[in-house]
Amino acid sequence: MNVFVIIYYTLLLGGSCLAAFYNKRSAFLLLFSLTLVSFILGIVGGVGALRIVAICAGLLALSAMVSYAFREFLVAIAPTNLAKELRTAPLTAGFGMFIIFTYAIAGIFAPWIAPFGEAQIISSAFAPPDETMLLGADQLGRDMFSRVIFGARNTVALALAGTVMAFLLGALAGLLAATTGGWFDQILARTSDVIMSIPSLIFALLMLSIFGGELANNTTSFVLLTIFAGVTGLLVVTAVSERSLLGWIIGLAVLAGVSTSFALGMLVIFNPSEIILVLVVAVIYSPRVFRLTRAVAGNVVVMDYIEAAKLRGERTWYLIRREILPNSTAPLVAEFGLEFCFVFLLIAGLSFLGLGIQPPTADWGSMVRENATLISFGDVTPLIPAGAIALLTVAINFVVDWMLHRSSGLKG
Amino acid sequence: MTKNKDVLLKIRDLKIQGYSDESWVDIIKGVDLTLHRGEVMGLIGESGAGKSTIGAACMGYARDGTRISNGSIEFDGMELTTATESERRALRGSRIAYVAQSAAASFNPAHKIIDQHTEAPLQYRIKKRVEAQEDAMQLYEKLRLPNPTEIGFRYPHQVSGGQLQRAMTAMAMSCRPDLIIFDEPTTALDVTTQIEVLAAIRDIVEEYNTAAIYITHDLAVVAQMADTIKVLLKGEEVEEASTKEMLDNPQEEYTKSLWAVRSFESPQKYRPKDGVPLISVRNVDASYTGGDKVLDDVSFDIYEGMTVAVVGESGSGKSTTARCITGLLPPSKGEILFRGEPFPPDYRNRTKDQLRQCQMIYQMADTALNPKVKISEIIGRPAAFYSGLKGAKLKNRVDELLDLIELEPSQYYNRYPPELSGGQKQRIGIARALAAEPSFIVCDEVTSALDQLVAEGILRLLDRLQDELNLAYMFITHDLATVRSIADEVVVMQHGKVVEQGPKDDMFTPPHHPYTDLLLSSVPEMDPNWLTTLLEERGIDNVGDAAAARIDPKDKKVSTT
Amino acid sequence: MGDILRLVGKRLGLGLGILLIISAIIFFMVELLPGDIAQAVLGQGATPENLAALRKEMGLDQPALVRYFDWLTSAVMFDFGNSIVTGESVVDTISTRFANTLFLAAYAAVIAVPISIVLGVLVALLRNSIFDRVVNVLTLTSISSPEFFLGYILILYLAVKTGMFPAIASLSNDMTFGELLHRTFLPALTLVLVVTAHMMRMTRAAIINLLASPYIEMARLKGTPPWKVIVKHALPNAWAPIINVVALNLAYLITGVVLVEVVFVYPGIGQALVDSVSKRDFPVVQACCLIFAATFILLNLAADVGAILTNPRLRHPK
Repeated sequence: MNVFVIIYYTLLLGGSCLAAFYNKRSAFLLLFSLTLVSFILGIVGGVGALRIVAICAGLLALSAMVSYAFREFLVAIAPTNLAKELRTAPLTAGFGMFIIFTYAIAGIFAPWIAPFGEAQIISSAFAPPDETMLLGADQLGRDMFSRVIFGARNTVALALAGTVMAFLLGALAGLLAATTGGWFDQILARTSDVIMSIPSLIFALLMLSIFGGELANNTTSFVLLTIFAGVTGLLVVTAVSERSLLGWIIGLAVLAGVSTSFALGMLVIFNPSEIILVLVVAVIYSPRVFRLTRAVAGNVVVMDYIEAAKLRGERTWYLIRREILPNSTAPLVAEFGLEFCFVFLLIAGLSFLGLGIQPPTADWGSMVRENATLISFGDVTPLIPAGAIALLTVAINFVVDWMLHRSSGLKG
Repeated sequence: MTKNKDVLLKIRDLKIQGYSDESWVDIIKGVDLTLHRGEVMGLIGESGAGKSTIGAACMGYARDGTRISNGSIEFDGMELTTATESERRALRGSRIAYVAQSAAASFNPAHKIIDQHTEAPLQYRIKKRVEAQEDAMQLYEKLRLPNPTEIGFRYPHQVSGGQLQRAMTAMAMSCRPDLIIFDEPTTALDVTTQIEVLAAIRDIVEEYNTAAIYITHDLAVVAQMADTIKVLLKGEEVEEASTKEMLDNPQEEYTKSLWAVRSFESPQKYRPKDGVPLISVRNVDASYTGGDKVLDDVSFDIYEGMTVAVVGESGSGKSTTARCITGLLPPSKGEILFRGEPFPPDYRNRTKDQLRQCQMIYQMADTALNPKVKISEIIGRPAAFYSGLKGAKLKNRVDELLDLIELEPSQYYNRYPPELSGGQKQRIGIARALAAEPSFIVCDEVTSALDQLVAEGILRLLDRLQDELNLAYMFITHDLATVRSIADEVVVMQHGKVVEQGPKDDMFTPPHHPYTDLLLSSVPEMDPNWLTTLLEERGIDNVGDAAAARIDPKDKKVSTT
Repeated sequence: MGDILRLVGKRLGLGLGILLIISAIIFFMVELLPGDIAQAVLGQGATPENLAALRKEMGLDQPALVRYFDWLTSAVMFDFGNSIVTGESVVDTISTRFANTLFLAAYAAVIAVPISIVLGVLVALLRNSIFDRVVNVLTLTSISSPEFFLGYILILYLAVKTGMFPAIASLSNDMTFGELLHRTFLPALTLVLVVTAHMMRMTRAAIINLLASPYIEMARLKGTPPWKVIVKHALPNAWAPIINVVALNLAYLITGVVLVEVVFVYPGIGQALVDSVSKRDFPVVQACCLIFAATFILLNLAADVGAILTNPRLRHPK
């Protein structure tokens, strides 16, 4: 019995009694069951186990406080309407927003935050952590901490690009299909059924095996990007220039310009193999976005106000822009978050398999793979980039969970 | 009036709160209620009066998102507000039973009707399974369900709505409770079906001398069923009296106004001697993709400035007719003429001017207005779209339209639909139709989702607008009172066919087509003896679904009433 | 009954059609390669004679459509040709591996399915309690973590630090069944963690979704106790979504197993796929993809059929 154990049980029992006295049923149950569990843990695992429990509880309390403070901070700086929404956020969502915020800062200011360059070799392989290298060195002697920071920029940017492209194509197609219906809707629905019945990771592997080799060059990626942007733009042109030849001509001319400049822009930011990766995830996930958008828009399309607008003779683009989109933003934003997680996990998984982002670019998935051997020596280094992936997806899911809960709660 | 002096249920100063917009608000604001054994009390009031909430509270039950915050509910000497959950639960189903509004939704689709019936008696160990089943069959027979020995072994979706409602009443009776709560049991039914259910409920409640609370918004229905009537308004009691006294001599202003609705009647107009009808439906057949024929050789005319009411029960094809006229469902045979010229069958092929001539007002104002668009744009869009109005001209037009529907322009201009009440939303819907400057408006059950007082306001507004703007209306409704007050001509439909049509005064005087006759006789009247008299005159077999099934659209006219 | 048969038949037809289209996608995507497989096998430096010889051997001188039908007909008879890296028969290489993957998936499923349905029902019963919230956070975390993160954590704590289970799931033929279960416990546990969380959430959601139905309120007002409301009134109507999510997760267990197999060096078909993708061994890639897609479609089909069979409206037509 040392001082730590005495303080530990005093706090727990005192807390339980207080909770019981003030009729806080759930708090009491939580504290007292923790006390009971601690008795067993204490006997089995000794003081060490209790210490771990105490550290976990401390960490939980710390993150709860950070989440609470961050939520209040957001409430304080947000405009009134938004602040009212934010006030309903549970602590988990606050935590999620805080993590996303941190990652965004790390990603945007990576070169200034990271003490070393992402490919800079500064010590021996697998050097242990010291004062200059907070997390030690990797298999080539590069600073782990700097690479984790740069990873936030590379991995997230790639996943974001993939998600945005999947979303543009999928959401546009979904909105158009729900609004026009008929054979157009049927064809798109069947196509997405087919693509979705190939498991995503398998389909990605198949496509990467084709486009991963010598096809990953500037010309191919430029052509593929232009085609992708062209198909997306064609949907917009269809909706806007309904039954008017002039509209089609102007639309197609604008489209050609926009898609080539989009492709050129992407080529400046990413290298060809990364562009292939982005395209692969965009192709795989756009059917999922399509399906969801079509379902969400489908709920809106059956409303009488859409019928009234159709009977008035409104164009498809007006229906989408003014009548359908404003009523489906909330679920679509939540879905964007979810899809981002899926895309992010897929890219991380592919990189982990050595088929995604290629070295020397710092990327969390490949960092896990490169350092995996350390795990058999009981070293946690490979868990750090893996944990960074997990933390971001968990954070986004926390926020999405709250948003979905809000939008479903407001329905009735 | 009370049959027995024992008090069964005593509610004192009941307050119930509902959770909305992050805080608890009172929805029941201190209601007292005393019910004796064997007494039937009618709870009436408009939507939002809290009738259903009180009904659930009588069982010590608060729905999700509500809580009983104050007062006492004493059932047969037992205080429900302080009782434990398991004590309260032990009363439910055994001593207090519940009959819900929608029987189709309230029976579990996964189990047979009789298994749901015997659930409570088995759970309370009142009867063995076989006994409980035999008892169920007896109850089914008493409630005049067809094939009482067999019907219980079907699944809910295999039985019609009116029969399910009676099966649910039987289920409520399964433990011979002291009290049954009827929560709008006939609201979802057609009038002809309603009669059978009403008669069945009344007989069985009388036979077992069960006390009942009968919740409804329909005065004529409650007059048939209740010994005493309590009127509620926004969670507060207005007054309570025995049925006869309440009908003959209501005390409060609010009650009087409820009694007085439907006094409005628009003067009847007649067709011009010679003239082309504005809209003419010619021999129209229609069906939904792959389905059976929904409309069968429907023909009628609508003249300029006149109102044609299309009447029929659910499934009679009246809304489908409207969809054919507006072009949403192109007819498979026949045509629609506008001032003698054929209208393209599909709305997508109609010109802007053809589209503007024919506007529509919807039943559910909630789904008819885009909740994310400002009132000014909802009304302004048709004006801008058809007439190309912009800027100040457009604003003036919107103001003018808001004036026309009796809403203050400056107050409503920048608001969104969810901020408005049901009646206001319906007015905005009317303004949107008017903004197109049409000659013809389809009104699809425009008043059936509204409370009676509000509905009457809408009817008066529509009538005034018709006179000012020389509009023609096609009024789709199942409510004969609405027909009486606004129609000039009536078209009666059954199973997709027109069974009878003509000027209103002809339609309401015999001889009638048998179906029209059945419809007219099935509408409950304020007289407490109406149901008894009707059943005596016609016999139980000549009302309701059974009678409706025997009618053929080609039958000759009869003059029974 | 006729209705059900017709619906099931329709689903089967649809599944077959989709499988056919997918086989075409898998086959013709390889055709997109510049040059052809022979070029890819031999690399840029190959002599024209060697190329021609290989082309002839692989039948590449035939038109693509003919080759597709040849490939498809032999695939139906489980003949996927030979690997272009090792030259061995593809079926021989992957059949034992596929069996291993099925074993791992079955192992995980046997643990995960009952646990998640029972827990899902339990959480639905205790909804909005502190238990529910804790479970919500835990399952969300588990769903959103990458499999290799969970896998390495398990290796670190259950294999390296405590030594209770082996970190590498190597298999040999002379193992007893108990030994097999012990060796493959960690990969199975990783899979269990991921799918249990997902299935549980969906079960909970499916049941809670139904709790707003009028017939549930009716059951409560009949005095039915809460557990019976869930088990007797909500669960029978929730089968369709639950079957759906179970099938989806079983499909995941078989196809999404790739990462877990790599982490634990488990000799399954997923690892074969990853290896052949990096070696650009196209016959193996095609075979693996087709097998995965077929399994996936089959399970979805099973879910649809299950949903049809548990629907009382379809089972007892008017």
